[in-house]
Amino acid sequence: MSATSQGGLLKYIPGLILCMILGWLALQWDHSIKGWQKDYKECQKILKANAKGEPPFGFDEYKAKREERYKGQLALYKQGVAKGAPKKPYILEKDVYESLVTTKEIPFKLKFGEKMIQFQLTYVAVLLLGGMLIRNTVGIPDLFKPGTVLARPIIKPGIVLLGGYYVWSNLFKVGLVALLLVIVFIFGTVVLVSVLGKKLKLDKGLIGVMAAGTGVCGVSAAVATAPIVKAKPTDFFYAVGTILLFGTAALFTFPYIGKALGMSEPVFGAWVGTSILNTAQLVAAASWYGHDALLTANIINIVRVGFIPVVVLYCIWFYLIKGASAEEPRKKMNTWQVVVDKFPIFILGFFAMVTLNEFGVFTKEHQYIFGKQFLKIFFAIGFAGVGLNIAFEDLKKAGGKAFVIGVSAALFKAVLSAIVVMLIGTEVFFVKGR
Amino acid sequence: MNEETRELEEKAKKLFSEERKEDIWVLIISAITVILALTGIITKKTFVSLFF
Repeated sequence: MSATSQGGLLKYIPGLILCMILGWLALQWDHSIKGWQKDYKECQKILKANAKGEPPFGFDEYKAKREERYKGQLALYKQGVAKGAPKKPYILEKDVYESLVTTKEIPFKLKFGEKMIQFQLTYVAVLLLGGMLIRNTVGIPDLFKPGTVLARPIIKPGIVLLGGYYVWSNLFKVGLVALLLVIVFIFGTVVLVSVLGKKLKLDKGLIGVMAAGTGVCGVSAAVATAPIVKAKPTDFFYAVGTILLFGTAALFTFPYIGKALGMSEPVFGAWVGTSILNTAQLVAAASWYGHDALLTANIINIVRVGFIPVVVLYCIWFYLIKGASAEEPRKKMNTWQVVVDKFPIFILGFFAMVTLNEFGVFTKEHQYIFGKQFLKIFFAIGFAGVGLNIAFEDLKKAGGKAFVIGVSAALFKAVLSAIVVMLIGTEVFFVKGR
Repeated sequence: MNEETRELEEKAKKLFSEERKEDIWVLIISAITVILALTGIITKKTFVSLFF
């Protein structure tokens, strides 16, 4: 390895370590509030039982009674009388239980945990809001910046590991609807942007960048199409700024809008999958809402990012082949080369995980490790990077007519897709694993 | 091709080349995690042991 490349790698280390530390802190917070919430619920059950006349037992008796009831339920399940396997009993710590029985009051810490979960202030929110706050108040020293940028794609191994939850039949069921949604909304957005662009008398280059950016996959699609459609650098930066601004606003507002509209987790996942353009922002919003939302959003995202080569091919055909003037020689398009160059190959890892799960390689424990534990580690580091890179000065770059078109198209798509996915309903988008 | 378009094309090429490298790392990290889980080196308790 050359000295330059060593220096190149070293510059990422401080920022990566910062994201790992922030990620760990946020996961520790998440671990604590979820534990407190469980305690809170158990305390509520005990207080309710006491109010109904059940005497407050000593700790050993309380523990024995819970275990005895579980054994009874398990026996009924084994005999085939009860349908579902009972959950292991959740038992309070001795000091918490004794304090509850003595004071008849749920400790403040547990109430706090319950409130934090109610407000959805999980590790996702803490990292995104906290990161954004740090970046825009105290700022981050230049030493850390390269590493925080590199931390963002660490979300992707989480997406690949999540593949261990799916089976092909279910992936096809949700994926087919996802495919239809993605196609309808990509073309819908492209048509809308073209119509708006013509009305506002914009040049073809800007219309092309905005159509690709707001229709498919945000910044990546805008970058891929900009040279093909011969966009001016100023228009390109306006377009990227607008895409980032909408994505950031959506990330922080959609989970609350989803709750207000009473969206189920799978429906919310389908909504953000079609309306948020950036993978990291989409995954963050879905994780913020819940695990089932993430499972659905992930399928739609996989289908959507798989469309980047298709959009690039379309732009090459539209602008360089169909749009070539009579004097210019018509260019040949190497379709296979474009697909090979632009295809996001991490998707293949996701498909490999689905296939391994289909063949029964993964047990429930493996799925839990991948989808509920290690996924969080990768996401936490990535979300720290996302939060620390939300700089208000970048968002200010949104402007001009690109802003009008981009925001109108993205808002229209968000509203329309919310209506469509709510009409389609939970059953269609629900991901049932093996 | 004018200078501005060439710059954007370079930028696009660079981005996709970086994304390809990134994706290869993603596949390597994912594969290592899967192997560690399948061989039992990481279990359910590993994650929990990281926190107080």
